Amino acid sequence: MFTKSKNFDWTLFVLLLILLMMGVFAIYSASTTKIGDTYNVKNFWWKQAIFVIFVLLTLYFLFRIPFAVIDLLIVPAYIFSLLTLVVVLFLPTINGSHRWFQFGFLHFQPSEMAKLCTILMVAKIISKPYMGELSIMLRGFLVTLLPVALIIIEPDFGTTVVFCISLLAMFAAADIPFIYILLIVSPILSIITSFYLLYFIIFILLLIYLLIKYRLSWVGISIAVVINVFISLITPFIWQGLKTYQQNRILTFLDPTLDPLGAGYQIIQAKIAIGSGSILGKGFLLGTQKNMNFLPEHHTDFIFSVIGEEFGFVGSSILLLVFFMFLWRLSLAVGKLNVRERKIATAGIMAYLSFQIFINIGMNIGVVPTTGIPLPFISYGGSNLLINSLAVGMVMKYLLERGFMK
Amino acid sequence: MKTNLDPPNVFKIILAVLFLFLISSLFELQIIKGNYYHQIAERNFVRLNRIPATRGEIYDRNYKPVVINIPSLNLYLTPAKIKNVKSLMQFLQFNYGIDPAEVDSLVYNNRFRSYQDILIAENTDYDTMMRVSEDLNYYPSLNFKVETTRQYLIPNHFTGYVGRINADEYSRVKEEGYSINSSIGKTGLEKYYEVLLHGKDGNEIIQVDATGKSLNLFKNNLVQQPENGLSLVLTMDSDLQKYASSVFPGGVNGAIAVIDVKTGGILAYSSKPDFDQNMMMTKINKDDWNRISNDPNKPMLDRVIHGVYPPGSVFKALTASIGLERGVITQYSLDRPCTGGLMIGNRFFRCWSRAGHGSLSVEDALRVSCDVFFYDLSLKLNLDDFQKFVFANHLAQRTGIDLPNERQGLFPNTAWYKKHYGKYTGIIGPKVNLSIGQGEIQVSPLQICAYYAALANNGKWIRPHLLDRAIGNKTILYRDLNQKLVTQLPVSANTLRIIHEGLYKVVNAPGGTGGAARVEGADVYGKTGSAENHVGSPTHAWFVGYYVTDTPQIAVCVFMENAGHGGSSAAPIAGQIMRYYHDHIENNKTKMVAEK
Repeated sequence: MFTKSKNFDWTLFVLLLILLMMGVFAIYSASTTKIGDTYNVKNFWWKQAIFVIFVLLTLYFLFRIPFAVIDLLIVPAYIFSLLTLVVVLFLPTINGSHRWFQFGFLHFQPSEMAKLCTILMVAKIISKPYMGELSIMLRGFLVTLLPVALIIIEPDFGTTVVFCISLLAMFAAADIPFIYILLIVSPILSIITSFYLLYFIIFILLLIYLLIKYRLSWVGISIAVVINVFISLITPFIWQGLKTYQQNRILTFLDPTLDPLGAGYQIIQAKIAIGSGSILGKGFLLGTQKNMNFLPEHHTDFIFSVIGEEFGFVGSSILLLVFFMFLWRLSLAVGKLNVRERKIATAGIMAYLSFQIFINIGMNIGVVPTTGIPLPFISYGGSNLLINSLAVGMVMKYLLERGFMK
Repeated sequence: MKTNLDPPNVFKIILAVLFLFLISSLFELQIIKGNYYHQIAERNFVRLNRIPATRGEIYDRNYKPVVINIPSLNLYLTPAKIKNVKSLMQFLQFNYGIDPAEVDSLVYNNRFRSYQDILIAENTDYDTMMRVSEDLNYYPSLNFKVETTRQYLIPNHFTGYVGRINADEYSRVKEEGYSINSSIGKTGLEKYYEVLLHGKDGNEIIQVDATGKSLNLFKNNLVQQPENGLSLVLTMDSDLQKYASSVFPGGVNGAIAVIDVKTGGILAYSSKPDFDQNMMMTKINKDDWNRISNDPNKPMLDRVIHGVYPPGSVFKALTASIGLERGVITQYSLDRPCTGGLMIGNRFFRCWSRAGHGSLSVEDALRVSCDVFFYDLSLKLNLDDFQKFVFANHLAQRTGIDLPNERQGLFPNTAWYKKHYGKYTGIIGPKVNLSIGQGEIQVSPLQICAYYAALANNGKWIRPHLLDRAIGNKTILYRDLNQKLVTQLPVSANTLRIIHEGLYKVVNAPGGTGGAARVEGADVYGKTGSAENHVGSPTHAWFVGYYVTDTPQIAVCVFMENAGHGGSSAAPIAGQIMRYYHDHIENNKTKMVAEK
């Protein structure tokens, strides 16, 4: 269809197509309300179908244009996405945060574009040969910090976590030793474990063991341990110093069921919908929770609950399997690619897609906190779909270009 | 080692772990707990819709309305239909003075129940309704519903008022079928007879979607009709009540109680100053509330049962009766002559008349209200015995009237003085003061009125009450609800006869202090009182008495805070009330009997 090259990853492409079709199918059900014999179909599904066609055309062009053009565009695109992140802060809020541009019925989320641009930019910057490990990490952090800082004041916590996860994956792909990555995340682990002394002691001992095993200098070990102990000591005091409502906000973020009519409402309703789907589900268009509108936003962030309710464990397992094969294929691509920049970028793209998929499904079944992250390729939304597909398109483009460049 | 921990392999391991976690969570949710969630999902869209019961009304003894239900225009907001929040907030602020922040939080808190109506304002007045209705087209989220509210036709302290249920009350009564939107009696009869008045709300089972919008799937079956509340018929006579309220002089705080001697039913019950309970029926604004609750005259205080005061000389009838009962005095015993005071120990106790009254019998001592006679009598009494006697006469004791939070008052005994004043203080001085109703003693006007009603009724004390019967789908009489309504005062017929004689002289004999209460065509018995309270302020004026034609009819108690002498301030008012009773009520009664 797109090319005759034997390097074209047909498996990845077909998996992508299957996901896109499943998305349109699920959105059709999610935007249909069937009560008694009356149907009420909202127009989301054919809008999504148009988006899909548009996305496929865009991929076609992406595969056709010379790679040098794309390479030239990375820096301007990164700068442009930073600019859009600044501009969006001055626009009126939608749903309580500055996240969207609005053109007529189209909503565009600049942080979506920033994700891909930042990954490509980081890959470009840190892939220069003969760079030291420290220099790689420093540059990676700097390039990521700019968009993250802008996104955190929108505010959009979930997206900033996506950035951090993909940065760590890129470090790993850039052959940064895992021990450094462990050091980067160790303060976060300290905060989490600081509430249970036993866990904290186990964590610190494990950290010291690993640091010694990987032959870090004694100075380095001491600094790492002191910083982690210090963080774990002050965390309880910072927690006590928070106002009760701030504590409650954090607690309900971690466990939404504490606020069943507020933050926990969606989670509880989503769990009821998915759980009541049982093994085979209630059937296409027949989800009662969906039809009675107990689930808000069921065509966007909570679309997985519609699938779970109407197709049951079997249907949702099939979706999970497709996702798994798709991501597996991406991780195979990391191994196949030899050009350092492309390998790193592919790792970043794979990590950011996996994380979003995991967080969204986990949120729907109530095992991870709620964040406003849609399900890639399935949830309704044009800009999201376009960027995720372009990201996969980039990987396929890399695979396609194999052999022409060393 | 190196090849195994290659980045792509690590990614694969992490992927596998994450997806195993998701699959196992899904397995637990859909297969292990699938049935459980299936049941929840079915219950999720069935709602109980409440059909509120109509609250019982309140009538006087002649079935004239006292408290009625009237239609009330309540404004509701349906958040799902809001078009423009900002203009809505401005609109509500302009017309109802509702804070925009309040609207904002209401809408936010109900964001997942956006088809459920939220009560915004109750009892919209006509002008606002006309003004708002014109613009209602622009605000489809607002709608008026006609519901009922209470109207209090007579400003008074005994009916009390209703209000929206609060969190405490709700947690106490939610088992009885109240909802968080229910009204509940807050004070007075509305509170005391809440169980009778409220009735039982009905239910309608409807299928709704998540926002609470009815889907009309199974209408008209599964309806449980509400059971309306019972209406109260009081012993109160609203004409007499209104008249008693109107003759009380303006600017004076006080209380009036009128009791039907034969039944114990209260005919009039007035506390001054009063306030209009209807203002509690709308969203009361802060200024009005502060004005009422910070008013030094305390218009919300029910002085008939919630105020307790020293009774002064009206208490002397009781001191005289214990003297006669204990044999300390007899009908004719002329005691120590009054020379304007009495030296007891090293303290001189003054009589109100500096000139003195000379030697007096008990009847004449009551007539002129001589203090020295009772001082002398009290010296021969035991204080603890005195307290028991007072309690046996239902003074400084709750009467048990059918109203909430009645105050008891106080009559001390020896132990009380020891506790409060230390071991070595003598109790003779206080006892002397108590004998004329001064000092630590505190009683409510209703207790005094009930006591005199019992004296009139040959010593048969009947618990004063406001309810005669509750009517509706069944009839409940007051006496069905209460046992032990009647007790006999611990006085002999002879004692009673002497006291009656004395009280008659107070009003009718020359030199009697209560002459102003006399009524043409009937006999009035009574006693005046001028109770000292704070040093320097005028005395509390009391008059309590009863009105007798063939038989004793009514007992009237008039109490006026710091209004001077009972004979000149309170007795004329009592006289007017009895005259009104004589002219309008008793004559009508005899006419009706004659026509039959």
